[in-house]
Amino acid sequence: MKMVKAEGLTYEYIKMLETDHGTEEEKVSALKAVDLEIEKGEFVVVLGHNGSGKSTFAKHINALLEPTKGTLWIKGMDTQNAELVWDIRQTAGMVFQNPDNQLVATVVEEDIAFGPENMGVAPEEIRRRVDEALATVHMEQYATHTPSKLSGGQKQRIAIAGVLAMKPDCIVLDEPTAMLDPSGRKEVMETIERLNKDEGITIILITHYMDEAVRGDRVYVIDDGEIVMEGKPKEIFSQVERLQQYGLDVPQVTEVAHLLRKEGIDIPADILTVEEMVGALCQLKLTI
Amino acid sequence: MSIEINHLTYIYNQDTAFEKKALDDVNLEIKKGQFVGLIGHTGSGKSTLIQHLNGIIAPTKGEILVDGENIHRNKAKLKEVRRRIGLAFQYPEYQLFEMTVYKDVAFGPTNMQLSKEEVHQNVVSALETVGIAPELYEKSPFELSGGQKRRVAIAGVLAMNPEVLILDEPTAGLDPKGRDEILQAIKRLHQERGITVILVSHSMEDVAKLVECIIVMHEGKVAMEGTPKEVFCHVKELEAMGLAAPQVSYVFAALKEKGFDVPLDVFTVEEARKVLLNMVRQVSV
Amino acid sequence: MIRDITIGQYYPVDSPIHRLDARVKLTMTFIYIITLFMVNNFVGYFFVIAALTGIIKISKVPIKFMLKGIKSIMIIILFTAFINLFMTKGVHIIWQWGFLSLTVEGVILAIKMCIRLILLIVGSSVLTLTTTPIQLTDGIEYMLRPFKKIGVPAHEIAMMMTIALRFIPTLLDETDKIMKAQQARGADFDSGNLMQKAKSLIPILVPLFISAFRRAEELAMAMEARCYHGDENRTRMNRMHMQKGDYRALTMGLVYIAAILGLRYATNFFPFII
Repeated sequence: MKMVKAEGLTYEYIKMLETDHGTEEEKVSALKAVDLEIEKGEFVVVLGHNGSGKSTFAKHINALLEPTKGTLWIKGMDTQNAELVWDIRQTAGMVFQNPDNQLVATVVEEDIAFGPENMGVAPEEIRRRVDEALATVHMEQYATHTPSKLSGGQKQRIAIAGVLAMKPDCIVLDEPTAMLDPSGRKEVMETIERLNKDEGITIILITHYMDEAVRGDRVYVIDDGEIVMEGKPKEIFSQVERLQQYGLDVPQVTEVAHLLRKEGIDIPADILTVEEMVGALCQLKLTI
Repeated sequence: MSIEINHLTYIYNQDTAFEKKALDDVNLEIKKGQFVGLIGHTGSGKSTLIQHLNGIIAPTKGEILVDGENIHRNKAKLKEVRRRIGLAFQYPEYQLFEMTVYKDVAFGPTNMQLSKEEVHQNVVSALETVGIAPELYEKSPFELSGGQKRRVAIAGVLAMNPEVLILDEPTAGLDPKGRDEILQAIKRLHQERGITVILVSHSMEDVAKLVECIIVMHEGKVAMEGTPKEVFCHVKELEAMGLAAPQVSYVFAALKEKGFDVPLDVFTVEEARKVLLNMVRQVSV
Repeated sequence: MIRDITIGQYYPVDSPIHRLDARVKLTMTFIYIITLFMVNNFVGYFFVIAALTGIIKISKVPIKFMLKGIKSIMIIILFTAFINLFMTKGVHIIWQWGFLSLTVEGVILAIKMCIRLILLIVGSSVLTLTTTPIQLTDGIEYMLRPFKKIGVPAHEIAMMMTIALRFIPTLLDETDKIMKAQQARGADFDSGNLMQKAKSLIPILVPLFISAFRRAEELAMAMEARCYHGDENRTRMNRMHMQKGDYRALTMGLVYIAAILGLRYATNFFPFII
């Protein structure tokens, strides 16, 4: 069974517009007939600029929004089935962008317990899960701290632990690093990768940072509510001009490689990291 | 207008259990018309430093001289200093409050008690500089996109006609398009208005593209100072301070280590293209 | 300045007082406040002060923190003292000017009122300094539970308190930031008459409200995403258990009430006690 499966997923909403002739209604399509499939254990990145519809998509996975047309299944569960809402939210947990606005309690461990408490898990089991989740995100020593005194990266790791304690199969992260500094971003990305590799949790990372996207197994590029590109990071990032057209960047080295190729230099187009770039340049020198 | 910082020390919560030295004997000089990049990881003291420049916090020790005069000597003049040295905080869109874009940008100049015509002139020119189209002037600022909101907020500071503009993380949280628009606007205002710009940023790529001079803060002290070429070739030192150089710098550092004869002071994509092209072509000839 | 406000300032040390069940501490604080208004003589106050000092000692919280709260209500204390000093009618007049008169009775009453207020603040500080906000809200939720039948939303009240406590530091920080940002745009919060001062708050309050609403919306969504649906079928990680110490504390509470009552009626037999 697919972890996530979308068929013709469409989301429309009515926007009020102030015009010279009074208020008018305008129908906006945030998602237009999106089809996609995500396997269990995959690390999938959804790329897109702000307003491309990527956050709307994320909220559908968690049944926070309901599709206008089409269907979305999470582990076979239709998100439009109201009876399955709690099961869906437990299966696919969600981490949001602003670390401050998703922590509920005044003590770290109480916050992590919030999800399982809502699910009605037995107290001893909650305790066990909280300790385990704290260990997984490497925040054990902060169990009794106040979230408001933590750094952005630490808060985001607590938010991840809060989702982990619900024992999800899949975690959706909606721009989890957008408000963090470089060290916070690094902490969070390392945590996400560990969850995917060690715990086998399916990761859906929504972002506009290219250096994060290159770490995924597969990338979807979304633009104006439609999926416009899909493939392995290397396949996606070798198309520098197309990405730029969608308002996205590529890593500096990828851009340099692209420019060199344009000059007729025989260097691979799918260079994503410094090591690959240096390797390719050495290779180039050897062959000449 | 020049800014001189002499032996600036600042201690938070002095004489309490939470005492923390945020700045430790900082000495700096910022010349008129310079484009300065201020970098340092969270907690390095850079936010505290820029708040001093604008007189919002007063030094524990040391002094800040603007055109040779200590800004805290005369309290009445502090307001004037705040006008001359504009400060746009991180996420400046959170300070928007007026009904229309125009009125919000006019808040600063109106506080300066300028005439209606002058206010109008300042507002229009500031909004033009940041690239906000006239059709948006009468819209509510809350209807705009994230990048537009931020540019309106920056225009709000710019409309006070400052001689120095300090921007704290102006691109934080924006997507590449929003980021490029902001950076374009900043570049334009530096070129067109000739004002001094101090850009605080985590993004080395942004800093590398724009600034003439970089100040690196670490643990409340100035750790490095110089042109981007001088600073970014110290990849290892930057790493040790929890910072990073632009990705391209790493390529050249690695090539050098492998015995290639390459310069270390390359940090933009454009330069890298030139240097590598030369290198490859030289070999093949 | 704005950071000086101390709400829910928990002081994290381990002491017998910290370990007490929040419900016991809430009950005791309630009893304590009532007894403050039953005490009517200095011997009684002396006894209360002695008891409170003992509790503070056991709690291991530095006395400095306990007294911190007094600073914030200093004006109220001074005002009360003033009113009682000059407005109390009495026979032993020391000084008189117009309708203001200083009497021996007034001085005594003023001193008593001040002691009462200070004891009230310090006593409640003991509760907030030794109890985590979580335990406090859990305790309140538990104690309100019997009133649920008559429509008191116990769980909702507790959840609202938790969220408020969680967001107070965040919003204080935010207020500070917005104030600085508007100051940088030439806003002036200090000069002008009352009307102008009130008007100068708009550039702070509007962004603050907008941000608070945005936070509320995002938090609501995050809570929903974590399966929050009220207290139906909800469990808690930490259940409250009454321990031996708790029963001992309650017994001591009873002794305390008896002592206070005793001292109150002592004046009937020993009229020289003031």
